Amino acid sequence: MRIVIAEDDTLLREGLGLVLRGEGFDVVASTGGPEAFLAAVEEHRPDVAVVDVRMPPTHTDEGIKAAVEARRAHPELAVLVLSAYVEESFATDLLAEGAKGVGYLLKERVGRVDAFVEALQRVAAGGTAIDPEVVAQLFAQRRSDDPLERLTPREKEVLSVMAEGLGNAAIAQRLFITENAVHKHIRNIFFKLDLAPDDHTDRRVAAVLRYLESA
Amino acid sequence: MSRLNAVVSDDRRVPREALRSTGYAVYGAAIGILALYTLPLLLITAVLTLVRVGRPMALPMLRWVRRLADLERSRLRRLGHEIESPYHGPDVEAEPSLRGALADPETRRDLSWLFMHATWGLIVGIVAIQLPFTAVRDITYPIWWTTISPDQQEILNGTVEAATWSAAMIGPIAGVAVFALWLIGAPKLCELQARPGVNLLGPDPDADLSERVARLTATRAAALDAHAVELRRIERALHDGAQNRIVGVAVLVGAARREVERNPERADEILARAQDTVEDALAELRAVVRSILPPVLENRGLEGALSALASDCSVPCKVTVDVPDRCPASVEATAYFVVAESLTNVAKHSRASRAEVEVRLRGGRLHVSVTDDGRGGADAANGSGLAGIGRRVEAHDGDVTVTSPAGGPTEIRVELPCGS
Repeated sequence: MRIVIAEDDTLLREGLGLVLRGEGFDVVASTGGPEAFLAAVEEHRPDVAVVDVRMPPTHTDEGIKAAVEARRAHPELAVLVLSAYVEESFATDLLAEGAKGVGYLLKERVGRVDAFVEALQRVAAGGTAIDPEVVAQLFAQRRSDDPLERLTPREKEVLSVMAEGLGNAAIAQRLFITENAVHKHIRNIFFKLDLAPDDHTDRRVAAVLRYLESA
Repeated sequence: MSRLNAVVSDDRRVPREALRSTGYAVYGAAIGILALYTLPLLLITAVLTLVRVGRPMALPMLRWVRRLADLERSRLRRLGHEIESPYHGPDVEAEPSLRGALADPETRRDLSWLFMHATWGLIVGIVAIQLPFTAVRDITYPIWWTTISPDQQEILNGTVEAATWSAAMIGPIAGVAVFALWLIGAPKLCELQARPGVNLLGPDPDADLSERVARLTATRAAALDAHAVELRRIERALHDGAQNRIVGVAVLVGAARREVERNPERADEILARAQDTVEDALAELRAVVRSILPPVLENRGLEGALSALASDCSVPCKVTVDVPDRCPASVEATAYFVVAESLTNVAKHSRASRAEVEVRLRGGRLHVSVTDDGRGGADAANGSGLAGIGRRVEAHDGDVTVTSPAGGPTEIRVELPCGS
């Protein structure tokens, strides 16, 4: 798998490269700013971009903007955004362009190499990977008139794990319930969020988006 | 009258205090003479202004009165009186018109003071100066009384005729009495001379309260803003520094754990880097903490902290600190910040060969000055630390004056109220 890294902090850039190469990924370019990153994407056409949110010049959301721009030019490009802190508006900005092949993780998750690699592979395969911390914050800010309030605590739990990008089997494992139960919960979620089965959109993605966007 | 008690209780300080008071009385009398000459000029200006030809003279006259009043204010502050400047604008020119300036209660109070000081202040000053001279003259009178013409053979400032030897011998007795009077009375006279200024040159106690509230509100807002700026600075410093380092450590440790089985030597290398990174993170945390409230200030006081700053400065720097008591921590931290920023500027931009830092506590205000012999041209607008100094000092109701002509030298003066 071919990867381009965009991270302005030298130490983290090298650390990321170290981890990814150690796991057998092909890091084709490591860049320190949005322009260099976009140029590298044009040049190398990677499968996945790993992008830091804060980058020069203003150190606010240059990384998100660059990632969105790269996705517009190359919709097949998977993007995994790394952030030093949780900022759900960044996550929703990113997901507004479509939730396939998008991830948003806290930087320190890179240290848990197994989970990080798994998230990276999920994103590369067109799935999503949202940090549990981001998911928790989105739930904490939920308004009371929200359709999501109709969900039972268990269903919310299932939805939040689904938002992290896990499949039914993985959700069952995480929550210590049967896959059958997961299936039932998800059907209820779709029903309560008015997502009809004959819809052509991916209902899983739509459900996750519904709950990320209404933050 | 704690000063008088202190004087009586410690006899070595009595002559010193009398001398000091007389010195200030001389200074006060000099201002009194200037005030005395100003009175007729003011009168002429007033008359001419009434017939309209004097109008151009009026504002410069009022400005001159302010100058005199400011002179007296600085004298009173050195005497230990807390005199806040009562003016709202920086200069008389800020007043919309002459009528506006005259309607200003501060101008009227200045003028009353001018009259009082030209009369009362001058007379009291002359008495205070006269006493030691009379004492010396009368004590030595028997030595030389025969050499002067008979119509001048008098003691006690010419009030008692002393043309015989027995009368002349009264001279030393009278002189010693006058000397004693001077010793005890000089500080009292100095106080009497200062009284009109103390009563009239500060802000009017009856002044419109809302105006003072507005001024305080503005400074509070500046304080809050300075806090917000400070918090943002700390947040950035933590995020860009320590936090990134620690995330780096998490990543490196993760990488090392993966390598432990595959390639233990490589794992060890990575762990060594992780260790270096943790040490960097700690150093950066210490730097951030230091910038909030420098521990050196806590441990070594203002003088020690400033000396440490000076010895770190690449330009040779002399430090003079005359602060008998400790000031509030926030004032000390601000003074430290001012000196640190100024010396950084000196080292970075001034090309100076030496610098000087002076910090003094006078009349309840902490005076900080940083001077260098560099090329000058310092300007708050072009992103130096001066804007930061301004914000932080303003938040403490202080004043900043920057004098930095092109070609130098540069002087930064800061005054911080240091009241408890």
